Amino acid sequence: MTVGRRKVSGIGIAIVLAILVAACGEDAQETTTTAAPTTTEAAMEEVTLRVAMSSPGDVQIGVWEAVAAAFEEGNPNVTVELNFVADDIYETIGLQSLLTGNDAPDIYFEWAGARLANRYQEGFAADLSDFRENELSSLLEDGAFNGMVVDGKTVMVPGNADVTTVMWYNVDIFEEHGLAVPETWDEMLELSKTLLEAGVTPIGIGNKDLWPVGNWTSHIVSRSMGEEAYDQMLKREIPMDNPALIEALDYIVQMQEAGIVNESANAINDNDGAELFFRGEAAMHPIGSWLVSWAIEVAPDLNFDFFNLPPLDGAGVQDSIIAVSTGHVINAQSENIEVAKDFMLLFSSLEFASMMVDAGGTPLTNGAFDREDIDPRVQSLVELIQNAGAVVAPPDTGYELEVAEALYQAEAEVLAGVSTPAEAAANAEAKLG
Amino acid sequence: MPALALFAFAVLGPIIGTGVFSLYEWDGFGEQVAVGLDNYSRALSDRVFRTAFLNVAIYIALTLILEVLVGLILAGLITARTKGTAFFRVVFFIPVTLPIVVVAVIWGFVYNPDFGLINSLLEEVSLQSWAQIWLGNPRTALVAVSVVSGWIFSGFFMAIFYAGIRQIPTEIVEAARIDGASEFQIFRRVKVPMIRNVVLVACLLAIVGGFQGFDLFFVLTNGGPFNATEIPTTYLVKAVFRHQNVGYGSAMAVIMTLTVLGISGVFALLRRRGREERTAH
Repeated sequence: MTVGRRKVSGIGIAIVLAILVAACGEDAQETTTTAAPTTTEAAMEEVTLRVAMSSPGDVQIGVWEAVAAAFEEGNPNVTVELNFVADDIYETIGLQSLLTGNDAPDIYFEWAGARLANRYQEGFAADLSDFRENELSSLLEDGAFNGMVVDGKTVMVPGNADVTTVMWYNVDIFEEHGLAVPETWDEMLELSKTLLEAGVTPIGIGNKDLWPVGNWTSHIVSRSMGEEAYDQMLKREIPMDNPALIEALDYIVQMQEAGIVNESANAINDNDGAELFFRGEAAMHPIGSWLVSWAIEVAPDLNFDFFNLPPLDGAGVQDSIIAVSTGHVINAQSENIEVAKDFMLLFSSLEFASMMVDAGGTPLTNGAFDREDIDPRVQSLVELIQNAGAVVAPPDTGYELEVAEALYQAEAEVLAGVSTPAEAAANAEAKLG
Repeated sequence: MPALALFAFAVLGPIIGTGVFSLYEWDGFGEQVAVGLDNYSRALSDRVFRTAFLNVAIYIALTLILEVLVGLILAGLITARTKGTAFFRVVFFIPVTLPIVVVAVIWGFVYNPDFGLINSLLEEVSLQSWAQIWLGNPRTALVAVSVVSGWIFSGFFMAIFYAGIRQIPTEIVEAARIDGASEFQIFRRVKVPMIRNVVLVACLLAIVGGFQGFDLFFVLTNGGPFNATEIPTTYLVKAVFRHQNVGYGSAMAVIMTLTVLGISGVFALLRRRGREERTAH
C-alpha cells in the first residue's frame, strides 16, 4: 500500500482496544505548545535532530513544522531537520537508504506490524518501554501501543490510526434510486444490481497497483475465513491454496459475476478510481479514511458518507474493520535518543494532536477527538474504530509485502474473472514457493 | 591506467557486487545470509520470471517491427524524391526527444478506458464495440505498450537509417532510376541492401534496448495486469525495492545480463559468419 494519499500502516488484531481506549481519553493532560527545555546533557550541546517520514501531505507537514518550531524555541541548542519522502519511495527504498546512510534519522515514521518488528531486529528501533511507562503514560493509553511491542519491548510512539477500507457512497445517487445502506451482503449485491440497471457504475476503483482492491477484498477474506486463519495464512503458517481462502474468494466471484466494479479497474490507478467517485460516475468507492479530506478538497459539492463491509456468512468477526496504525520509531543507533524522546513527547501532546485532527489525521493521543467541530464523517470513523469487534491488519503493511501482493493478485484475478478461486489461490501459492 | 580504474569503479565493481549479492539472502538492512546458488534456482523455477522473459521476447519481436521496420520505412519515405522531407524528419524524431515518463503519462491518457482518446474516437465513429480496456486486458496490454515504444523509437531508427542511406553514393541511386526502377524498387533492392550493416546494428540495438526497457512499462502498467506486461526489469525492481529481496533481485540481474551478453555474442558471431560468406562469394 503505497500510492497517493494513503497514509496508513500495519496493525495487530487487538489494536481495536487500543484505539478505543486511546480515543476516549478523558484524563488527557494538556501540554504547552512550547517544549520545556530538555533535561538531558545533550540539551547543552548543539544538536541536529533528524526526523524522516513518508510525506503526510502539505497540511500535516504544517503541523510537523509547528512542532519543530516549538521544540526549537524550547531548546535553542537543537535544530530539527524534517525530511518528507514520497509515500511509495519511503515504504520501499527510501527508509532503507536513510537508515543506512551517513545522516540517518533520529526519528522515523513506520507502520506497526511486520515492518516494525524487522526494524527492531535489524537494530534500528530503540527500546521505549520506560518512556512509555513514564512520560507517555498520561498522553497515550496502553492499548494505543498494541502492535508496537516487539519481544516485550515498546519500540514505537503511536501516531495515527486509519481505517484502510470502508465503502464510501454518493448519498445523492443512493437517494435518487431509493437505496439504503446495505445491512447484509445480499443487500449490497442487490443495490449494486439496481444501480447497474439504472446505468450507474456501482463501485469505481483503480487497481493498477493491486492494493486498493486488495485491502478491500482482504477484509472480505478475513471475514470469511476468520481472523486467525487469515493471520496464519499471511504469516505463511498455512498455504495460500487452502480451502478457506478458496471459499472466501467466492464472494469476489459473486461481485465479478454481477459486474458491479468498473471494467477499467485493472487499468487505472487509485487516484483515477477515486475520480470516478468524485465525478459521480460511480456510486461507491472502497478506500480508507483519508478520503474525507481529499474529497472535501477536490469535490467540495460531493454529498458522501460511508458504511462498513456488511456482515458475511463467515468464520470471522462480522463487525470487524480493516485498519492500521502508524507511529514513530526512535533510531537505536541515534546519539540523540533523549532529545528524540522529548521531541516525540511534544508531538504527542494534546495540542499538536488536535492540530493533527484539524489536518485530517487520526492521532491516538487521549482526547484528540473530544471536540464538537470535527467533520461528522471523521467522527463516525472514530466511532467505527471504537465499536469494532476486531481490527484486521491489511496484508501489505501488517505482513511481508511479497506475501501480501500474492494475495492481492489472487483477489484481483478473481475479480477480473481471469482465474477461478482455486486457480488464483494456487497461483498465489506457486508464486511464494 | 586511469581508464582501467574508471572502468573498474563504474562497471566492473557494480557487476561483481551484484554477483556477490546474488549469493546471499539480504533485505538491504540487516545481516547477509549466504545461500549459495539458491537464488538462481529460485529464479529459474519462478513462473513469473519465466513469463517476464517470454514477455520481453514478444516485446522485442514487436519492437523489431514497430521500431526498426517502421523506422526503415520512414527513412525510405523521407529519402525518396519528394518535397517536405525535412519537416517529416523533425516530426518523426520529436518523440525521441521527450522523456519516456512524459510519453508514458500522455499515452496513459490516450489509453484510458473511461475518457481516453482511443475509446472516445471509436465511440465517435460508432465503433464502440472495438473499445478495449487497453492496458487492463492481459490480451492487449503488451501490444499497447509496444505500440507506444514504436511511437517513440521508430523516429530514432529512422534517423539512423536516414544517415545510412545518405551515405549511399548518389550515382548508384541515379543509375537505378535511369534504368527505370521505381522508388520502392530502389528502396528495396538498392538502399536496404547497401545499409545492411546499419540494419543489423539497429536490430541489435532494439534487442538489447528491449531488455533494458523499464520506464514505459513501469508507468503504463507496472507489469500488470496479472503479469501480462511483466518484464525482467520490472520484476527485478519489485524484488529488490518492494520486496527487499536484494539477493534474489541480484540473481535475476545476473541471469538477465548473461542472457543479453549471450544474445549479443550470437549476433556478433552471425554477423562475422555472414561477412565471411559474402567475402568467400
